[in-house]
Amino acid sequence: MTYLMSRLLSTVASAAVLAVFVAPDPALSTEGDSSKQIKSLLEGGDPDPDAPLTALGEPPIPADNPQTPEKIELGKSLFFDPRLGGAPTTPCSACHLPDVGWDVEDKVSFGYPGTVHWRNSQTIVNSAYYGKLFWAGSSKSLESQAKSAAGGAVAGNGEADMMEARLAFVPEYREAFNKIFGDEWPRIGNAWKAIAAFERTIVQTDTPFDTFLRGDDNALNDSQKRGLELFRGKAGCIECHNGALLSDEKYYNTGVPPLDEWEDDGLKQVTFRYELYAKGSTEDMYRHTKDDPGFYFRSKEKSDKGKFRTPSLRYTLYTEPYMHNGMLETLEDVVEFYNQGGGTNEFADNKTALLKPLGLNDQEKSDLVNFIKSLSGDEILVEEPDLPEYAPLPDVADTKEAKQ
Amino acid sequence: MASKKNAGLGFLSAVSLAALISVAPIYSASAEDPGPVAPIEVDAKKAELGKRLFFDPRLSGDGELSCSSCHQPEKGFTDGQALSDAYSGSLGFRNVPTLINTGHRSAWFHDGRIGTNLNDVTRESITETYNMNMDMRLMQERLKQDPVYVKMFEEAGFGEPSNGSVRNAIPEYLKTLISRGSPYDTGEMSEQARAGYELFKGKAGCVACHSGDRFTDDQPHNIGAPGNPEIYKDPLRHITFVTFAKFMGIENYMNLRQDVGAYIRAHPSDKSTFGSFMTPTLRELQQTGPYMHNGMFKTLFEIVAFYNQGGGDDPNKDPLIKPLGLSFEEQQNLVAFLEALSGDPLTGPEFVAEEIDTDYPAIENWLKATN
Repeated sequence: MTYLMSRLLSTVASAAVLAVFVAPDPALSTEGDSSKQIKSLLEGGDPDPDAPLTALGEPPIPADNPQTPEKIELGKSLFFDPRLGGAPTTPCSACHLPDVGWDVEDKVSFGYPGTVHWRNSQTIVNSAYYGKLFWAGSSKSLESQAKSAAGGAVAGNGEADMMEARLAFVPEYREAFNKIFGDEWPRIGNAWKAIAAFERTIVQTDTPFDTFLRGDDNALNDSQKRGLELFRGKAGCIECHNGALLSDEKYYNTGVPPLDEWEDDGLKQVTFRYELYAKGSTEDMYRHTKDDPGFYFRSKEKSDKGKFRTPSLRYTLYTEPYMHNGMLETLEDVVEFYNQGGGTNEFADNKTALLKPLGLNDQEKSDLVNFIKSLSGDEILVEEPDLPEYAPLPDVADTKEAKQ
Repeated sequence: MASKKNAGLGFLSAVSLAALISVAPIYSASAEDPGPVAPIEVDAKKAELGKRLFFDPRLSGDGELSCSSCHQPEKGFTDGQALSDAYSGSLGFRNVPTLINTGHRSAWFHDGRIGTNLNDVTRESITETYNMNMDMRLMQERLKQDPVYVKMFEEAGFGEPSNGSVRNAIPEYLKTLISRGSPYDTGEMSEQARAGYELFKGKAGCVACHSGDRFTDDQPHNIGAPGNPEIYKDPLRHITFVTFAKFMGIENYMNLRQDVGAYIRAHPSDKSTFGSFMTPTLRELQQTGPYMHNGMFKTLFEIVAFYNQGGGDDPNKDPLIKPLGLSFEEQQNLVAFLEALSGDPLTGPEFVAEEIDTDYPAIENWLKATN
């Protein structure tokens, strides 16, 4: 009997478990006694049933932006093209570097020249599955995420009319936008669509854990299987890191400490205050806040200060450092952080009640880390495309016509 | 300037009656000669602050450009190029106008698109994507990080550094940029320049538009100035032009190959202002070439020759622009007069900020400090 089957059979045969048996892909369910265990472990727990852990399927494709090979190819070029920004130095790839996990290795992202960002750059890998993009969920789609990132003052700092005009002066882009979108001249909104289409190809559905969930008992080693047990049970990770994406896409304050670099880096202090100001703070809040209010800037509810959207745990083998401000350097640090019941920040009143000291021993912590590593497959690398160049527009035969 | 007034009376007597009659609608012999340009009262501390801001590249998005990058004091607050540079990744499609005497203008930019005040001109220049591309909220926080600014804003009566105070301080500095010391103002014009002045007021009819102390009527006119083909040959310039034209609501902007000029002020349905540009000041021309809104003329003589032939070809050309029939010598005299309208360079510590340390020192005791 495989490990998976034994796990499933050991649970109470609830309807949910039976449903798993008839599903095309075998899947783990947290319904049953393990769920009760979790509930008993975590007082004041999440009232919602946790979404089952399942293998990651194909990403959802929006009806108004179907995938085509030509669009994906265009999107790839645009992802690496610095013309989509203010100064031509900040393509998407500037802060989503494919060879370091499609993000940035620093605690907070580089930001636009002359500035620095204030949050950790998130990986592009599997971003296709999120319904809430950015750490505070300010975009609902990859299309709008790309637009916001290209325009933000400490990110792309690009202006739509200028970026759109630049695209018009690249003959290859004119041809591609015309063929793919029917644009007479490239429209900037379609650039975001193409980039999103490319990003929907940067997915990973064949991690060891996916393979395991699809029935290969040997895909996880013993330590990882013990880690899975802890993940679903004693450690309670599954309360938030659930479903195929391993994120419930809800907002929590886990008590991540504020970025230490704010204390001694003038440029980072500038950006911090700018974000407080630009995202909408009261005078008192602007004067006295010393940490990132996170989801508050979307809801403007005090009880949401310090909350961030649960990130996926997929591909985390390559995306250190961790958390919205990169304050945890390794996966071991993350596990230890939760083992201690999370941390403390100035929004302590809003800290989730789900977090309590876990009492994991060294072996258990190691097993949990090993399991999390099974959520990453091979590193995804791409060859950077050669970018097409500007060319003057074709002559207009009679310039006087332009005046009529 | 008694000396100049006396000189003026001197050469009024030499003006031929015929010339006076021929330009009667646009020139009255009884009019007082204009100039000098009046100083503008400023708050010294605000102006001093504005001066530092003017030279500080942290006022641009990527920290690469200051106002002075294009408005260079040693070039009469222009950049000496036919067409301007622009923000990183772009190039300009117009010539940099001088800022000397800009405090007296009533509308700004070659197309006169801002007709309010220098506060708004400052805002436009700092935030516009192809100029300095700066989010002024971020700019404000940058300035708050510099202890020198914190002190200067406080001493200037502005309190803490702010976006709005920047927009007040820079104009205060700009108002200090006033022409001074030109031979025209000091009464030290050569005989040739005096003869040129007579032509200017008379036969050549320049004064019809170049009137007043700054020698401009602050109105747009179409003289049929040639277009600058470089704009459309260089994608970096053409992109900027398209960005501008699209934003300003110009029809058919992708197929446009002509600068619309003051048309953008009102988009009149008869397009009568299409291709017209604000009359530029004639002061400080020796420092501010090349000339015209697109830098198509390198020398003052080229300009005089252009007007002498009756300007260029354009359906909207101002009827005032007609062939002048000036001799070569008369054209030279006019050039001599135009040169006499240039005075002392506005350089040196009075107008140029000391070197600026653009680092951002960390605020000590950050966790306890009030933002």
